[in-house]
Amino acid sequence: MRDVITEQRSAVSRGHVCWSYDDSAVFDDAARRFLSAGLAAGEQGWYVGPDPAEVARERLAGLPGLDAALRRGDLRIVAPWSAYPPDGLVDPVGQVHAYATATEAALAAGHTGLRVVAECSGLAGTPAQRDRFARYEHRVDRLMRARPFSAMCAYDRTRLGDPAVAELACLHRHTNAPGLLFRLAACGPGTDCAELAGELDPSNHELFAAALERAELRPVDGELRLCGPRLRYIDHRCLTHLARYAARRGAVAVLRASLPTASRLVEMLALTGVRVEAAR
Amino acid sequence: MRTGAAAGHQGYYHEAVCYGSEEELLAVTVPFLLDGVAAGEPTIVAFGERHAALVRSALPAGAEVDFLSGGDLYARPTAAIRSYRALLAAHLARGVGQIRIIGELAPSMLGVTWDWWARYESAINHAYDDFPLWSMCAYDTRVAPPEVLAEVARTHPRYATADRRHVPSEHYTEPAVYLAENRLPVPDPLQLTPPAVELTDPTAAEARRAVYAADGGRLPLDQVEDLVVAVSETVTNALRYGRPAVRLRVWSGDDRIVVSITDRGEGPSDPFAGLLPARHGGPGGLGLWITHQSCNHVAQYRDVDGFTIRLTAGDPLYRTDAATPDPALTASPATA
Repeated sequence: MRDVITEQRSAVSRGHVCWSYDDSAVFDDAARRFLSAGLAAGEQGWYVGPDPAEVARERLAGLPGLDAALRRGDLRIVAPWSAYPPDGLVDPVGQVHAYATATEAALAAGHTGLRVVAECSGLAGTPAQRDRFARYEHRVDRLMRARPFSAMCAYDRTRLGDPAVAELACLHRHTNAPGLLFRLAACGPGTDCAELAGELDPSNHELFAAALERAELRPVDGELRLCGPRLRYIDHRCLTHLARYAARRGAVAVLRASLPTASRLVEMLALTGVRVEAAR
Repeated sequence: MRTGAAAGHQGYYHEAVCYGSEEELLAVTVPFLLDGVAAGEPTIVAFGERHAALVRSALPAGAEVDFLSGGDLYARPTAAIRSYRALLAAHLARGVGQIRIIGELAPSMLGVTWDWWARYESAINHAYDDFPLWSMCAYDTRVAPPEVLAEVARTHPRYATADRRHVPSEHYTEPAVYLAENRLPVPDPLQLTPPAVELTDPTAAEARRAVYAADGGRLPLDQVEDLVVAVSETVTNALRYGRPAVRLRVWSGDDRIVVSITDRGEGPSDPFAGLLPARHGGPGGLGLWITHQSCNHVAQYRDVDGFTIRLTAGDPLYRTDAATPDPALTASPATA
């Protein structure tokens, strides 16, 4: 828990952040800080939420230079139906394309990038919505590693519940979701590698399997590459998920991590679909 | 086709050799090996250094006998079963009629960690029974304590003798019966001191952190991390298949960490749990099997507190006078 909270502070400055909340005032404060840091860095800011514009503006009150930023168009209050499909079923590919286009537009307008705070609870309420949105979350994570685009995705725990929030939170590099032990994020720009962090154990192996499915990782030269410089633990269930996932894609999973126990488990279980390589 | 005493036998032909001198050991070993070589059977010795040298010197030059390092093979019972099964499967795939092996445990294994080797000796009657294996397990009656020799009699269906007889063991007990018996381990003196960590109903993650916290950097990291895997799996099983409350206790000594995980249930019903992967994917069986390969000793037993699995990383061969007991704790049923 301690490292999650620590990350939460630093994550506010940039990147792909999942902010789960049960107190909207606390979320508002986090949103203001996130957007404020972006505006200070010359980025264009978007606030996407279900509230009418005037209510959204009230929620942002206190953000330094709010009115001037709104007047100049540095900060925009965006209705969810103009940023996301009205039926709430996100098209992962199309949605990432839309944000990629918006990022390039912000750059063309002289900004250093695009930064979005989006209250996404309404787009992830049903299992079908959540599945689509989770797939989008990993794709957009890749965009954020490649382009100057940051986002804080906010989810209302009182509305979705902790298990549903965990399905989405684990696909963000940074999150404050309580009790979440692992994250699956995109690696550096221009790579098909994914990064695993935290702890993968019996409590979350099914969540991990679902996250893998939604990440839709692509093999390169017969290898599905994952790195885990911040992976502290992985158990045999999760290694087995990884091996089966890779096998379904006709590949071998290659996990680069400093986890000798993972190598020993692979050998013990004769898991031919996964190879653990010591991280340099 | 099988040769020698095991001719016509189906499956595993398991014998003990209880010898009182090196001459007696050689009197059994040398003909066993040479007959195997003559029959073209894979013939293997898994002795410690001293006895391996003794046997080598007694064999004719060029005898096609394989010598395995007994020390590596017999580090942990479950790993030994896994290694041997792989070895036997490889020979069987080549179409051999029989495989002959003679092995021995190091004298240190006949002490406070004997209980899990006794379980091994019983379990292999089942674990190797799908191979045409004839093996002999050598025990020096001058070294093995009487209680060990009594367990040898219960875990080996027959004895091979120096006068080339093969005598049934009248005390042999079927593995399913033997392994289901409750077997209290020799108490580790560390357990008579207050634990470094004690948690009730910990999550697996909390249990892992407790082990790291208790370590203090005294043990090699790979041993601590293997113990962490074992503790994580055992706590998970206790929470999932045991009965609450689950109690985790960790003791840290200069040369070892001891962890006990107790729940109020009965423990696994599969007598081979831990020694073999769960049959038919039974509950928790893979975790317990991994646990047995990740620690230097595992004891499992039932007492008034419920079912306990005790795990040891580091040196499990403690001296029973190594710690000063806390008088207030000596009456604990879990350590009695």
